Amino acid sequence: MTPMSRVMCISGVELLADYLEGQLSPEVTASLEQHVLGCERCQAFVASYQATPAILRNATEAVLPEDLRESLADWVRKMGSGE
Amino acid sequence: MTLASPERPSAPEPSDETLAARAASGDGSAFAMLVERYQHRVYRLACRLTSETDAPDILQETFLQAFRHVASFRGEARFGTWLYRIATNASLMQRRTRARRPAEPLDAFLPRFDRDGRHAATPEELMVAGGAAALDRALDRATLAAKAREGLSRLPDHYRDAFVLRDLEDMPTAEVAAVLGIEPAAVRQRVHRARLMLRGFLQHAAAGVRSTGELK
Repeated sequence: MTPMSRVMCISGVELLADYLEGQLSPEVTASLEQHVLGCERCQAFVASYQATPAILRNATEAVLPEDLRESLADWVRKMGSGE
Repeated sequence: MTLASPERPSAPEPSDETLAARAASGDGSAFAMLVERYQHRVYRLACRLTSETDAPDILQETFLQAFRHVASFRGEARFGTWLYRIATNASLMQRRTRARRPAEPLDAFLPRFDRDGRHAATPEELMVAGGAAALDRALDRATLAAKAREGLSRLPDHYRDAFVLRDLEDMPTAEVAAVLGIEPAAVRQRVHRARLMLRGFLQHAAAGVRSTGELK
């Protein structure tokens, strides 16, 4: 995309990841921000896009089962003692 | 009345790299401390890259490989990155041993646009996946966890690996690139595609429950 070309929803979506990691030029960043400011759908989309990792992170949290922790500790003791 | 005992300054915890050096010279207690520090994170990573069924084997394989090769850890990368690379490789190997039923891909959940390049969905529809509160209302906790696991399992493997390491395990893009052996730009692209698919998948799941009262 050239710096002066107009950002639409479809091109804005493709720029999002690079935008969030600061990989876009100042010109493209400004064009994208200008579009999102004036686009209700993109505002909703960006909010949901940014929220997705945290939702997945919380929903896939896993706790090491106690029996597995104990068997791993036993194994480490054996390895450490050269058994 | 009892007098509070004077506080003694506690010794700082040894760094991972210090423990790894001690483990490499045969100090079993140093290796045990590293296991203690990382066992939960390795287990969680294995669950996210494979499943709870496969995670125990991956956990043991990861620490077995770490024990065998800790002497080769030179400290060029952080110890955590080095260990995650072992755990990721163990997870990928385990996944290859499973005859996977081809999962229905998530391409259908990518955003859609009208002829003019504008979002086809309404702001309300787009927002459904945006708030944990909105999802909590639409999906109970167990259902959301099940849908999240399903979503991960339906991602193409190379998207899943990048997304799990970058977004769920919170590794910097450069470290994910090092673990997966790809360029940072490729990491960003894969993570982006995964986010788009999962965002749409959650939106669809929540909207389905809200409109029908049943999980689609």
